[in-house]
Amino acid sequence: MNRLWKDLTNGLIKENPTLRLVLGTCPTLAVTTAVFNGIGMGLAATAVLIGSNLIISLIKKIVPNEVRIPVYVVVIASFVTVVQMLLKAYVPALDKQLGIFIPLIVVNCIILARAESFAAKNPPLNSVMDGIGMGLGFTLALVIISSVREILGAGTFFGIQLFGASFKPALIMILPPGGFMVFGLTIAAVNRLTAGKKS
Amino acid sequence: MRDYIRLSGVLLIICAIAAVLLGITNDVTYPKIQEQIAMANDEARKQVVPAAESFEALDEAAMADVLANPAYNVVKDVYQAKAGGNVVGYAVSVAPKGYGGAVEMIVGVDVNGAVQGVKVGTNNETPGLGKNAEKPSFSEQFNGKTWDSDVNVIKSGAPKENEITAISGATITSKAVAAGVNQALSLVKELSGK
Amino acid sequence: MNLLVILVSVVFVNNFVLSRFLGICPFLGVSKKLETAVGMSIAVTFVMALASVMSWLVQTYLLVPLGIEYMQTIAFILVIAGLVQFVEMVIKKTSPTLYQALGVYLPLITTNCAVLGVAILNIQSNFNLIETLVNGVGGGLSFTLAIVLFAGVRERLETAPIPKALEGFPIAMLAASLLSIAFFAFQGLI
Repeated sequence: MNRLWKDLTNGLIKENPTLRLVLGTCPTLAVTTAVFNGIGMGLAATAVLIGSNLIISLIKKIVPNEVRIPVYVVVIASFVTVVQMLLKAYVPALDKQLGIFIPLIVVNCIILARAESFAAKNPPLNSVMDGIGMGLGFTLALVIISSVREILGAGTFFGIQLFGASFKPALIMILPPGGFMVFGLTIAAVNRLTAGKKS
Repeated sequence: MRDYIRLSGVLLIICAIAAVLLGITNDVTYPKIQEQIAMANDEARKQVVPAAESFEALDEAAMADVLANPAYNVVKDVYQAKAGGNVVGYAVSVAPKGYGGAVEMIVGVDVNGAVQGVKVGTNNETPGLGKNAEKPSFSEQFNGKTWDSDVNVIKSGAPKENEITAISGATITSKAVAAGVNQALSLVKELSGK
Repeated sequence: MNLLVILVSVVFVNNFVLSRFLGICPFLGVSKKLETAVGMSIAVTFVMALASVMSWLVQTYLLVPLGIEYMQTIAFILVIAGLVQFVEMVIKKTSPTLYQALGVYLPLITTNCAVLGVAILNIQSNFNLIETLVNGVGGGLSFTLAIVLFAGVRERLETAPIPKALEGFPIAMLAASLLSIAFFAFQGLI
C-alpha cells in the first residue's frame, strides 16, 4: 500500500515530469494561454498515460524486446485517438482550442518515457498509479503556468474578468515569448525552492 | 529470418487489435461528432440570422457560379435562412485574408439588404489585437449596415452611416473583416436579384 | 507564388519552433553546441520532407479510400518511425561518415513533434503533393533557423555569469523568449 502511494505522489512534485524532468515541453508552452486549455490538455494526457501504462504493463512479457518501442507507440497512439474522438464528440470546444496538440500527445515525451522507464518494469497497479501521478503532475504544472499567463496576459482567470476595465493586460504573456518566459521562471522558482532540500 | 517474421507478427497483431478497437470507438462516436459539427454550424448561422427557423444550402449550380466569380473570391459557402417557408435572409461564410492568414467568419444578411450579425470564427490574428475582432463590441458595429454602399473602416472619430471604427492597433484585421462583410453584402444583393 | 507564400510563412512568420511550439524538446536538448545543432537540423529537415510526402500519400491513397481517416495518428507515427529506421539503415550502409555524424540524432526524431506536426498540418491545410513537399522542407528549414540561431546564443551563455536558480533550462527558456520576440518582426509579412 505504501509503495502504491509513493508511486502516485512521485510524479506530483519530486519527479514532476514538466518542472523537474523538463519533458513534454511543446504542449506545456503551446496550450497554456488559458487555464481551461491547460487543465483540458493535462487531463487528456493523464487519461492517455493511465491507459498506456496499464496496457504496456500487462503486455510487457509477451512483447519481444526488439519491437517494444513500435508496440508502445501503437498503444499510445490508439489511446490518443480514442481521447481525440471522445473530445470531438462531447467537448468540441476544447478539441478546437487544443487543435493539433491532441494528436501530438502521441509524441509527448512524458508518455513514452513512463512506458519505457516505469510501466515496462512494474506491475499493472503500480503502473496505473504512476500514470495518475505523472499525469496530475503534468496537469499541475500546466495549471500553474497557464494561471500566470492568463491572469497577466488577459486579466482573466478561467475566463472570468478579474480586474476593472482600466486594467491593460500584458499581452506578451499570452503570446509565444510569454510562454517561454513563464515556463523558464517557473522552473527557476522550483529549482530555488527545492535547492535547500537536496543538500 | 524466423525471428523477423515473429517480430513483425507481434507488431501486426497489436496493430490489428488497435484498429478493431478504434473502429468500434469510431462507430460509437462518429454520429455524435457529425451532430456536434452540424449543431455548431447551425448555431453559428442562427446567431447571425436570428429570425431564421432553418437553413438550406444554396443549390450546387448556383454555388459553383458564386465560387467561380472573382468578385466573390473570399466566399466559402452560402445558406438560405428560412422561416415559415419564406426566405428571410442569407448566412454567408467568408474567409478574407487578415494579418495572420484567413479569418473565417459568417455574415448574416436579411432580404432587405441589412447586416443582421457578423460572427468571427477561426483565425490566426494576434491575440489581444486582431483577435479582438471576435468580440461583439467590434462585430456588432456591422449590424444594420446595408448593401447600398460598401462599409469603410476609419481609425478615429465618429463613424458615419457606412463606417465602422477599427480595432486599435489592428487596422489590417478590421479591414479584412469589413472586406468580408462587403463581399457578403454584394453577393446577397445579387442573389436577391436587386 | 503560392508556394513561396507557404515557404515564407512556415520558415519566418509561423516559425515551427518559436511561434508554433513544435519540436521544443530537441530545440532545448541539442542546442548546446552549434555543431550538434547543425547535424540535428540536417537530419530533421531530411526526415520532415520525406515524412510529409509519405504521410500525404498514405492519407490520400490508403486512409481516405478505405474511409479510415480516424487511423491517421497511428498510421502517421508508424510511417515516421519506419522512415527513421529506414533512413538510418540506408545511411549506415552507404555513408559511414554521415552515419557517424547524424546517427545519434535519428532515433530522437521519431518523437520530435515537429515531424508528426507537419504531417498533420499538411492534411489539415488541404495541401496538394507539391505544397506538402514545400511545407515539409520549409518546416525543416524553420527548425534549422531557430535551433542554429539559438545554439549561437547558448554557446555564449556557457561563459556568462548566471544566478544559480536560472542555470540550465530556465536561462535557455528566457533566451528563447527573446528570440521569439525577434520573430514577431516577421508578423504580417504575408
